Amino acid sequence: MGKKNTVVKELKKNRQLYIMCLPALIVLILFSYVPMAGIWMAFTKYNIRDGIFGSEFVGLYNFKYFFTGGTGLGPKVIYNTLFINFFGLIFGTFFPILIAICFNEVRGKYFKKITQSAMFFPYFLSWVVVGAIVYAFFSTDTGMINRLLQSTGHDIIRWYAEKKYWKGIIITADVWKWCGYNSIIYMAAMTNFDSSLYDAASVDGANRFQQIIHITLPLIKPTVVILSLLAIGRIFFGDFGMIYGIVGNNSLLYDEVAVIDTYVYSAMRSLGFSYTTAIGLFQSVMGLILVTLSNKLAKKVNDGGGLF
Amino acid sequence: MTRKTRLFSADFWVKAVAYFVIAFFAVCCLYPLIMVLSVSFSDNTEVMKYGYSIIPQNFSKDTYLYLFAHSGVRILRSYGVTIGITIVGTLASMLVTSMISFAISIKDLKYRNVIAYICNFTIIFSAGLIPWYYVCVNWYHMKDTYAGLILPSLFSVWNMFLMRTYFEAVPASLYESAKIDGANYFQIYWKIAIPLCKTAMLTVGLMYALCYWNDWWNALMFINDRDKFPLQYFLYNILSNVNAISSGRIPSGAAANLKLPAETVKMAVTMITIGPIIFLYPFIQKYFVDGIMTGAVKE
Repeated sequence: MGKKNTVVKELKKNRQLYIMCLPALIVLILFSYVPMAGIWMAFTKYNIRDGIFGSEFVGLYNFKYFFTGGTGLGPKVIYNTLFINFFGLIFGTFFPILIAICFNEVRGKYFKKITQSAMFFPYFLSWVVVGAIVYAFFSTDTGMINRLLQSTGHDIIRWYAEKKYWKGIIITADVWKWCGYNSIIYMAAMTNFDSSLYDAASVDGANRFQQIIHITLPLIKPTVVILSLLAIGRIFFGDFGMIYGIVGNNSLLYDEVAVIDTYVYSAMRSLGFSYTTAIGLFQSVMGLILVTLSNKLAKKVNDGGGLF
Repeated sequence: MTRKTRLFSADFWVKAVAYFVIAFFAVCCLYPLIMVLSVSFSDNTEVMKYGYSIIPQNFSKDTYLYLFAHSGVRILRSYGVTIGITIVGTLASMLVTSMISFAISIKDLKYRNVIAYICNFTIIFSAGLIPWYYVCVNWYHMKDTYAGLILPSLFSVWNMFLMRTYFEAVPASLYESAKIDGANYFQIYWKIAIPLCKTAMLTVGLMYALCYWNDWWNALMFINDRDKFPLQYFLYNILSNVNAISSGRIPSGAAANLKLPAETVKMAVTMITIGPIIFLYPFIQKYFVDGIMTGAVKE
């Protein structure tokens, strides 16, 4: 009784503040929490007539079907998701750091301003626009690359019908779009570095290259570790917009670049709500586990306990 | 400290490589855009003959004139949809986000950590696409409505935490003295917090605006009615038709009937889609940099 009273008292006292929280919370409840009821579909054989909670309960059947059987695409899309995200993480870390370090070395206000604007620009483009750019490069008849191949005496390649290239193209587009954005994060980290360290090293006769290796890189390591951990926490989540914006519904390339998210979407109509909900649930649970673990590790790193 | 860089010393090479790397990446990022721009201003038959190139071939504005003469209504309509959802969505999002961020930045609010956790949990666990789609379509009936283009993106937890960082920087004593003068929290929020955090409002507002402008996912989910296509989804449809044909999925007989937009048209539509961003870019860029840096430093 006493506890309930304090709750009511608090709600009354700060009633205006709680009212201000309400619209945002309603949006979250409608679009994040209410859908969680639909997870039940993963354990049933959903049909429209009986609804979510009236359909026949089938236990883990849908999960088994995803991993072992049926279409055979289950393990394949998991592999694609992990592959694209893993290499996206590696290159998407390496290049932004390279850029941030180099950017620290160059001088000239206008040079810096123009180059940074250029490198940041892809972040502002939607994946559909990136898809149009990829098309401009790889279109069979008019694409830039095929013209280049032709003019140097090579055979042209029908890119949009050859699946083996597309994981690479997608990872490249991913790194291209996010490079400028991520380099800004590293530059933000670098502005906090203690400049007296560099002065001292300079007095001791260390050249710029040695300073980068022995001062900048060790100092930037915690940021790299934390960002990587956060990315690993989301490694089971493919970027739907990226895949769909670039490859669209091209059936020849489909199974090469299908990630869990796009597979769920395209299987929704052919394989039904129950099966695809099960896949989504598997993804969410893996995500929950990995995010929790990586957050714990990231906190440790932040406290200086250190991973390395 | 200010040692002079000797020619071909280690410092010289570091500098040379740095300039090269930066210039190279800058060109890599700009080159595709310039190519799209110049193709959109080229003559279509020339493009078919010689392929895409970085210099306009036989410079002409015909593509744009053709576009507005033939599918002008369609494009203008999509433009209208995009502008409409961007304005309405951004304003609504800013109001919703700034209110909750302000509230949980107040130390007096006892359950602010509970509220933050309710928000945070949606980042680490979600029901997945299908249940979300199911409730949106079957329970909320958002198919073919403008609400379907706005409501799902109305509130971003990331932006809330970004904004809270700004609000927390406001000294609590300002609020206290306003309270002594008899102001309630609504007045403090509207008359003190918001004006003090104008830059933050602009930063978060621009982030939402970009998100609404670039959105086509909600359209892909909910919109079948061509009249309600936002610009990005209009472009997506043009490109995915092309994609289907060049993959050979549609037999060539059928492909002949399906009239493909000319190469220059595709690129012109792309330019129209990103046009406003290019014009605004010089002015808005620094707010995004500011927002990213604030978010990054917090981590």
